[in-house]
Order: sequence, then C-alpha cells, then structure tokens
Amino acid sequence: MDMKTRSREAVVKAVRYFLIVLLLLFVLFPFLYMVSTAFKAEEDLFSAPPKFLPRGPTLSNFQQALQPKFIRYFMNSFIVTIGTTIIVIAVALFSSYAFSRLRFKGRKFLLKIIIFTQLFPLIVIIIPIYVLYNKTGIVNTHLSLIIAYLAFTVPVGVWMLRGFFKGIPYNLEEAAMVDGCTRLTAFIRVVLPLARPGISATAVYIFIVTWQEFMFALTMLTGEKMRTLPVGILDFIRQYGVNWGGLMALSTLITIPVFILFLVLQRQFISGLTQGSVKG
Amino acid sequence: MGYFFVIPTFLLVAALFFYPLVKTIIDSLYKSSLVFPKPKFVGFGNFIDILSDRTFYEILLQSFIWTIVVVVFQFLLGLGSAFLLHNPFPGRDVVRAVVILPWIVPGVITGMLWVLLYDPQLGMINHVLFKLGIIEKYMTWLSDKKTALLAVIFVAIWKGFPFSALMYMAALQGVNPELIDAVKIDGAGRWGQFFYVVIPEISPIIRITLLLTFVWTFNYFEIIYIMTKGGPGNATHIFPTYIYNLAFTRFRFGLAATYAMITFIILTLFSVLYMRELEKRELLD
Repeated sequence: MDMKTRSREAVVKAVRYFLIVLLLLFVLFPFLYMVSTAFKAEEDLFSAPPKFLPRGPTLSNFQQALQPKFIRYFMNSFIVTIGTTIIVIAVALFSSYAFSRLRFKGRKFLLKIIIFTQLFPLIVIIIPIYVLYNKTGIVNTHLSLIIAYLAFTVPVGVWMLRGFFKGIPYNLEEAAMVDGCTRLTAFIRVVLPLARPGISATAVYIFIVTWQEFMFALTMLTGEKMRTLPVGILDFIRQYGVNWGGLMALSTLITIPVFILFLVLQRQFISGLTQGSVKG
Repeated sequence: MGYFFVIPTFLLVAALFFYPLVKTIIDSLYKSSLVFPKPKFVGFGNFIDILSDRTFYEILLQSFIWTIVVVVFQFLLGLGSAFLLHNPFPGRDVVRAVVILPWIVPGVITGMLWVLLYDPQLGMINHVLFKLGIIEKYMTWLSDKKTALLAVIFVAIWKGFPFSALMYMAALQGVNPELIDAVKIDGAGRWGQFFYVVIPEISPIIRITLLLTFVWTFNYFEIIYIMTKGGPGNATHIFPTYIYNLAFTRFRFGLAATYAMITFIILTLFSVLYMRELEKRELLD
C-alpha cells in the first residue's frame, strides 16, 4: 500500500467513525434525556428553559414508578406477552412444519392467506372483535387480549418458522426415519434441536411486538386492574398535567431490560430475521 | 396429514380475520350512531357520503404523505446505518444494540418522550434550536397545523428505522465477498462496488422491506394517537387514527366500517404486489 491510498483509508475510517458517533447521538439523545428526567426533582422538571442534567438527583420518581399498581401492570404485560409467545410458537410449529415438509392440495393458497393477514389493516378487525368480545363477555380479561394478539402473531410465526425449517436438509430426517424414527420422533429429535436458533429468533420477535402493543390493549382492557404497561403508563397523565418524573422513571425501568435482552440475543436475531422472513 | 397440522392456524385466521372482515363489509352498508343506535341499511350510502366529504381527501393526502416520507427516510437511514455497522470495530455489538433500541421500546413511551422533547416551554428541542439560532422564537410544534404532521413523521422515522437497519444488516451478511473481490480486481472503487455488487445483491430484500414498512406505516396508530390524537383539527389524522376516533369516540360504527373498507382496498393492492414479489423469487414453493 502506498502513502496515498493509506492516507485515503485513514480519511474514510475517520469519516466512518464520525458518522457512527452522529448516528449514536441521534438515537441516544432522547433516551439520555429520558434517564436524566427520571432523576429530576420537582423544581427541575418544570424549569424553563430546561436543564439537561438534574441539579439534585433524586430517586423519588422511581418510588412512584414502583407503586403496586405499576407492578400489577407489569405482571399483566408479562402474562399476556409470555402467554401469547408460547401459544404462537406451539401452534406455528405444527403449521410451519406442514408448510415446509408436506405436500398437500391448496398449500400455496393457504400460504398466501398467511401472508395476506400479515399485511392486513388491524383497524379493520378491531371493531368487530371488540363487539364480539362484549357479547361473549370475555372483554377485559388476559385471555381476550391473548386471543386478539394471536391474530397478528401466529401468521408471522408460521412464516418465519417455515423459513427456518426449509433451511434444514430433509435427508437428515429421512435418515432418522430409515433408522426407525417415526415422522414425529424424527421431528422432535432431529429437526427441533437444529431449529432452536430460529425458534428463539421468532419468539424474540413476537415478544417485542406483543410487549409494546397498544391499540388492542387500549380498546379491550376497560378495567384498571387488567391494564398492560403501555396503557397503564398513561396513568401519569393527570388532569392538571403530566407527571414527567414518574413517567420517565417507569420508562427507564421498562427500557433497560429490553436493551439487555436484545444485546444478548442480537446476533441470533439478525441472522434469524433473514433466514426466516427473507430467504424463505 | 398436512391439513391436520394447519387446522389450528386457519381456525384462528377464520375467527380473527375472516369473520371481522365480513362483519365490517356488512357494517359499512349500514348507518348507525349514538343518536340512532338502531342500524339502518343505506347500501353504498356511506361510501358516497365519504367520497363527497372534504375530510376524506385530507385524511387520504395526509396518510400518503405520512407513509411515503416515513418509508423513504427509514430506508435511507436504515441502509446507511447497516453499512456503517457492517464491518467489525471494537464495541460494534453494543452500538448495534443501541441503534436498535427505538424499535424495541414501546411506542407509547416513544410518543410521550417526544411530547416532552417537543414541549414549547419545557422541551429540549426548542431550547437547543433556539440556542443554535435555527429558530427565532419557541415553536408549538405539536399544536401548530403547519408543523404537527412533520413533527410526528420525524418521530415515526426515529422509532421505525432500526427495523430497516436490521433487515439490511442481515442482507449485507449474505453478500458473497468473492463477488466484491471480483469487481475490485476489475478496478471498481468503493462506489463501484456499492452500485454494481452490493445493491443488486440485496435488492430483493430492499423491495420486501420497503413493502413491509409501507404497509406497517400506513397502519401505524400509537405514535399519532399518543402525541396529537389526530389534531390540531384533523391535521395529523391518518386512516387508522381517524377510524379509531370515529368508532370509539364518536361511536359512528357504520362510517368507521366504511373507512376501514377503503383502507382495506388500498392495502390489498400492496399485498398483491408483495405476494407477486415473493412468488417471483419462488419463496412460496
């Protein structure tokens, strides 16, 4: 490498790092302000012009964020999200296996329906579902929300898992079946272990989507006790103004675990995303 | 046996999509409101009412401005970030996780956080822009008809671009390095490699991501609901927020159903495009 190309490489590198820093600032600035607001005392919260850093950091906002009712909202969110994720994976495992391994009439048509539902405007189904729930009396329960969430998570789950199964060579199963496995035991002993990264990528995706869902939760959960976090956090909006300190403290508490979860799982998730949904 | 395995999925689809869709089609042919709770059959009356109402064209225009601007900027930012974060450097995993953060944090939190940032007196945005001399007076970003739509669009871009970035990161991992070496030998520079190898290689994923983000953005609800509720006036209403408002605030279920049908028809067009794209690449086989 001569001097000229080397100095050009150095410039390119410097520009790249500069842009990365810009990108980080763009993403992080709001989050940093969220965390800093979470530590602000009353008089800091309402100072105009605003101060970026709290003058006397306080933990009192976090005390408000950890009130029993917010712990309950957290539990509601947790139950609904975990429940949805488990059911989706269970239902989708079978369907996606059938779509990737078995030939049957109308397969392609059914697959098209699956894709179609992924792009469906949810606002179209929310009103009839709400009316139906009211009639059957299951409105305002965890189950009502889980069922509604299955509507838009099962199809995605089937589609992603199908992609992973297709990436696993069929002759591995055939060999197992020659060795005396049935289709089911071959599936459990050969396919499932190989599909584990794909299954966890799918589960993470469904978790993320369900964890933040707002529109259905707002509509279906009419009672305070059943609220999930995305709806419950709005309790900090009061008639005479927003309790920004409490709101940002709770937001901080919600954000940190999600960040850690993603930090740990991101590599699997990134390669999972393409295999499942794009490469097919 | 194939049918046996897919039955649970399609029972769900039938109950949660087919039934509501049919119900919405029927509802769209009736007029009902809080004052006249007993629905009255009006045929295509609702459709005619809507098409002769100025509000419909406002919502239509805003929906497309919102969707197109958001999708284009998510594409540019997503692709840009994917390139920046493709080659390894110390701390790349942490940087990537940080960049993804807006996408995995609940939209309600994002919305409220930006309401605070946009606040005329307490907000950082006015403060910083004023100090830098970019604005001459403090702006009321979210309650001014001229800036409100732009303000929510900016937040939607910020919130959603990491998904595009993730897709393109994954796509870049799949580009065969030998192809790049081949054009390097032919004397292609950085831009040459980019336009002759990388873009063509990842263009199927670009098309799929564009279609997906288009449909999702068109359907996106919570950012606008949280930040402006569609206001001031109707200035930030798009189809989902307007329909929600019609149904659950004004209890005009018939009209809401008709609007929902119009949304459905528009989006079906894009679903067909998406399906053709998948079919072309033999992803349905």
